[in-house]
Amino acid sequence: MNAREIQAPEVLSVDRVAIRYDGREVLSPTSFEVARGEFVCIVGPSGCGKTTLLRAASGLVAPSGGEVRRRGLPMTGPSREVAFVFQDYGRALLPWRTVEGNVSLALEAAGVPAGLRAPRIAEALDKVGLGRHARKFPLQLSGGMQQRAQIARCLAQKPELMMMDEPFGALDALTRQGLQDELARLVREDGLTVLFVTHDLEEAIYLGDRVIALQADPGPGRPSMARMIAVDIPRPRDQLTTKEHPEFLRLRRELFTFIAQGHD
Amino acid sequence: MTERSSPVSLLRPWILPALLLAAFEWYARRAAALGSDALAPPSAAARAFAGAALDGSLWQATAFTLGTAALGLLLGAVLGIGGGIVLGLSRRAADLSLLSIEVLRPVPSVALIPLAMLMFGFGVRMELAIVAFATFWPMLILVQAAVRQVDPRLLEVSRVLGLSRRDRAWKIVLPAIVPRLFVALRLGVAVALVVAVTVEIAANPNGMGYAMMIAQQSFDPALMLAWLGWIGIVGYAINAAMQRLQRRVARRMGATP
Repeated sequence: MNAREIQAPEVLSVDRVAIRYDGREVLSPTSFEVARGEFVCIVGPSGCGKTTLLRAASGLVAPSGGEVRRRGLPMTGPSREVAFVFQDYGRALLPWRTVEGNVSLALEAAGVPAGLRAPRIAEALDKVGLGRHARKFPLQLSGGMQQRAQIARCLAQKPELMMMDEPFGALDALTRQGLQDELARLVREDGLTVLFVTHDLEEAIYLGDRVIALQADPGPGRPSMARMIAVDIPRPRDQLTTKEHPEFLRLRRELFTFIAQGHD
Repeated sequence: MTERSSPVSLLRPWILPALLLAAFEWYARRAAALGSDALAPPSAAARAFAGAALDGSLWQATAFTLGTAALGLLLGAVLGIGGGIVLGLSRRAADLSLLSIEVLRPVPSVALIPLAMLMFGFGVRMELAIVAFATFWPMLILVQAAVRQVDPRLLEVSRVLGLSRRDRAWKIVLPAIVPRLFVALRLGVAVALVVAVTVEIAANPNGMGYAMMIAQQSFDPALMLAWLGWIGIVGYAINAAMQRLQRRVARRMGATP
């Protein structure tokens, strides 16, 4: 362990990260940190650069300015320690592999010997409740189950950090709520560290320990605004009581007002 | 459904071929009656076919042509698929080889017969080389295009999972292009058969093409037509077999029927 790691115990440090495409600023310099075991949500309207920020934080795109550090060390590209759940589960799963085959891919990439994969696949599928569907192909499953399969693939990686890009955005409301609660349970049981992007304010507050709110593109020359709020609502949370909690309502109003400012 | 399986509709595809055969039979007999021996009626071709099948020359020549075409295609396809994947994934490799490909690709494969004869003499190796050359280009170009069209999301998945280059090619790219690969392979099969028979007609004293040439040169139009019809049937059977294989592979890879 070197001195730098002791100084920076955060799993993830995003340090003045900015993204430009063709001279146009997609993301103004943004900084935040994620500690071990934390659930941080990034919320904002479409076009605010939240997905770009997540992709930069996971090493999928190189930032135009600033630096991303994992446990104090600069990140130069994707890492097996950082799992990524894509929004479009239909495109992110291999349609020619069964559910267990898709989970297996993560273990094959990590070089887990063939003999040791089966128990880890079963464990990951049990965690997301897909044990009975291991032999099915993705196209035989509903959207919610496909997204569970993708989450299982990421869990099998045993990542230090899980990046989720609007994972429930394409699902119907009931399925989404069910998966939110399951994700919260997984995080509690496995001590996962999650960076979660969504455009849904309530989802961000309901799931997060902290919420980073981004405003839409403020126009050239003006920095986009980000605000960080802490969510002090006890866990385990519940779809009904948590969403009626006075603190939940107060945060929702605060974030809504903040994000709406960018839309005047 | 009931309409589709009724005996009349099962016979329907056979009506036109039967009519054409009958017309040809009539025309060839009339030509023969007028003193021409350039054509033979299908009935005579059928007798010649039975003779060739019984004395074994049919099977030997067919095995030679198909075996050589298959081996040549295998060679061309393996090289074409491998090269196509590399060119499809690496912009740099594609830029590097663009000019060479565009110069070599339009060379008609039959124009290589003199060169191949010098290098390999008569026989299997010469025909193999030309079939491989002819099938390599369409495989290369089609596979390269197919790889370019692989969903970029799948390549991102392979990046975040940390798959090695080899695994990315074997486990992501190759399975993802299988449907297009079959289109390329079916084209390759057709090209291989055409080129193999052409090489046999033009140069290689072996196989179905050569047998047909010999029949023509020894004024045996019945046997020549028998070979011609047989080549057509073999081509049809191979294409049908490829389609069945394609459907079976698609089912194994999770396509819902």
